[in-house]
Amino acid sequence: MNGNTAAAQRPWGFIAGLLSRAGFSGRTLLIAAPTLWLLIFFLIPFLVVAKIALSEITIASPPYLPIVEWTADGHMIVTLNFGNFQFLLDDPLYISAYLSSIKIAAFSTLISLLIAYPMAYFIARSGERYRNILLMLVILPFWSSFLLRVYAWIGFLKSNGVINNFLMSTGIISDPIPMLQTDFAVYVGIVYTYLPFMILPLYTNLVKLDEALLEAAADLGARPMTTFFTVTLPLSLPGIIAGSMLVFIPAIGEFVIPALLGGPNTLMIGRVLWDEFFSNRDWPVASAVAIAMLVAVVLPIMFMRNVEANIAGDK
Amino acid sequence: MNNNQPIAAEARPWRDSNAKPFVRIRNVTKKFGDVTAVDNVSLDIFKSELFCLLGGSGSGKSTLLRMLAGFEDMTSGSIEIDGQDMAGVPPYARPVNMMFQSYALFPHMNVAANIAYGLKRQGMARDEINGRVADLLKLVKLDNYGARKPHQLSGGQRQRVALARSLARRPKLLLLDEPLGALDKKLREETQFELVNIQETLGVTFIVVTHDQEEAMSLATRVGVMDEGYIAQIGEPREIYEYPNSRFVAGFIGSVNMFEGRVIEDEQDHIRIRSAEAGCDIYVGHGVACAPDQTLWFALRPEKIRLHRNKPEGDANFTKGLVEDIVYLGDMSTYRVTLESGKHIQITKPNIEREALDEIHWDETIYLSWGDTGGVVLTS
Repeated sequence: MNGNTAAAQRPWGFIAGLLSRAGFSGRTLLIAAPTLWLLIFFLIPFLVVAKIALSEITIASPPYLPIVEWTADGHMIVTLNFGNFQFLLDDPLYISAYLSSIKIAAFSTLISLLIAYPMAYFIARSGERYRNILLMLVILPFWSSFLLRVYAWIGFLKSNGVINNFLMSTGIISDPIPMLQTDFAVYVGIVYTYLPFMILPLYTNLVKLDEALLEAAADLGARPMTTFFTVTLPLSLPGIIAGSMLVFIPAIGEFVIPALLGGPNTLMIGRVLWDEFFSNRDWPVASAVAIAMLVAVVLPIMFMRNVEANIAGDK
Repeated sequence: MNNNQPIAAEARPWRDSNAKPFVRIRNVTKKFGDVTAVDNVSLDIFKSELFCLLGGSGSGKSTLLRMLAGFEDMTSGSIEIDGQDMAGVPPYARPVNMMFQSYALFPHMNVAANIAYGLKRQGMARDEINGRVADLLKLVKLDNYGARKPHQLSGGQRQRVALARSLARRPKLLLLDEPLGALDKKLREETQFELVNIQETLGVTFIVVTHDQEEAMSLATRVGVMDEGYIAQIGEPREIYEYPNSRFVAGFIGSVNMFEGRVIEDEQDHIRIRSAEAGCDIYVGHGVACAPDQTLWFALRPEKIRLHRNKPEGDANFTKGLVEDIVYLGDMSTYRVTLESGKHIQITKPNIEREALDEIHWDETIYLSWGDTGGVVLTS
């Protein structure tokens, strides 16, 4: 074929030639590359974690017993310890940490959505010249360290921080409002950090919205509010779902924000995981927590994908 | 053409100076920054009319339509619909509906929900809505398509859904923005007649925006030709075609051969124009408001020219040329003839016979002639 001769003339052509002789077409390779990547960097580590989750704790390095042992006479003994998962169910700490993580992630997602939607709408409806500038402003915080930005919030929220000082100097309050080390601070941190992840997919969706549809709705007697709820909102559902997943999933496993901004009562699975792993050195239970969290995250994704598939199927 | 039949005077309210217009557009101007999109347009449209705004892109026709619908504010002027001043009235409160060029069907709703959308906003009862939707689906011949989504329909079907949706609220005035633009030629011709039928059945006033002069001619009771924001001419299709008032209108509607000339005889009952371009004198059999020696233009439609092998009699209204090209179109043929002045002329001739034995051929030198009243004298 023409394509092959052309490929053979390029310096890397001989590699392509060899591969294609071995039965690998460009298409196969293109699909193989990410598959291999996921295999090496996701599936294998996942299996390692799963293995640790099923093993017994011990005081050694590494701090768990192997699950496969060979006896002298060639028998293989597989010891699977489901006790770690049992432990998660038995100890109310883990259940309430999961529920609390889901609650915090869900509320943060909702708050982000309520803040991001008007912003995304505004950017999508502003003139083409300003759109890129506004988007740039949304992305700009990413250019500084995430940790730094969360630390900065401590300066705002603490008792003698910017907000309390301002409120007291204007005489609105006489005593500082405790904000740092509360769930409120965690919400602020998560919403602040993940807001761009909500804005961007919403923006991409809303910018495609055909203005003629809004005009058609107005023409058919819909006031602006009605138009929003009957046309704009339903059509932006894919953007809402994408943005919500991008906020909800990382928020559920968030560790740094609750550690820095949250109080002793802020229970999130990320912190439990950290404590289990580094303080208790209980790798098997920590791994079991990690796997349970994965399940807790995958289920909502699958649900959302179903919803999306239904929407797409309707189109 | 429907204008051939005698139509009762009341069917042509624009000819009656006492008739009350349904839509009254007065000195409407719209500026986008420095650009004047619509320039001091005044226009009266009467009840049950099918009025076509015809113009090229950027002529301001769509802007005018959007101002009627309320999507654009006027810079100055006034619009009255059915006696009600529309200044400051938002689109959702106007007794007007629009059929969009892109159809703008709601992609997340099925056909029935699309049609019912406007009715729901009126707070109509569910049973009544269902009845109305069923009637409309029947009207546009889509009885069994209520449950389909817009993306499951063909272009022609979508166009009919859009029409049904815009008619659902029984508007007094329906605005149609290039209603047939997205359809192929055959479908367009079919739909044209359907549109006229529906308009006549319901008696709704239609204002149609189009760039397609054929569409305007076949649909409209009257046509308004727009150019660069102003209205160049308003008239019945026949008037616009046979009596254009300017070179722009003559050239925009159909094909035309234009000869520049100078008045050499200006009498009460005729004028004579000497035209170097035509290579002959042009005798016009009626008086024209002009000055002797004035430069003006003579517009001659391709079908109004006759071809001869022999020199016609008389001293005017014929010239000589060389046949450059003949295009056979089936129903007729188009001849391209170059005059001695170098001007190219287009002539169309119906193909009356199936076999053309003594037909004029390429590279033949022939005579072209026309009648005393065959062309239009234009001063602008």
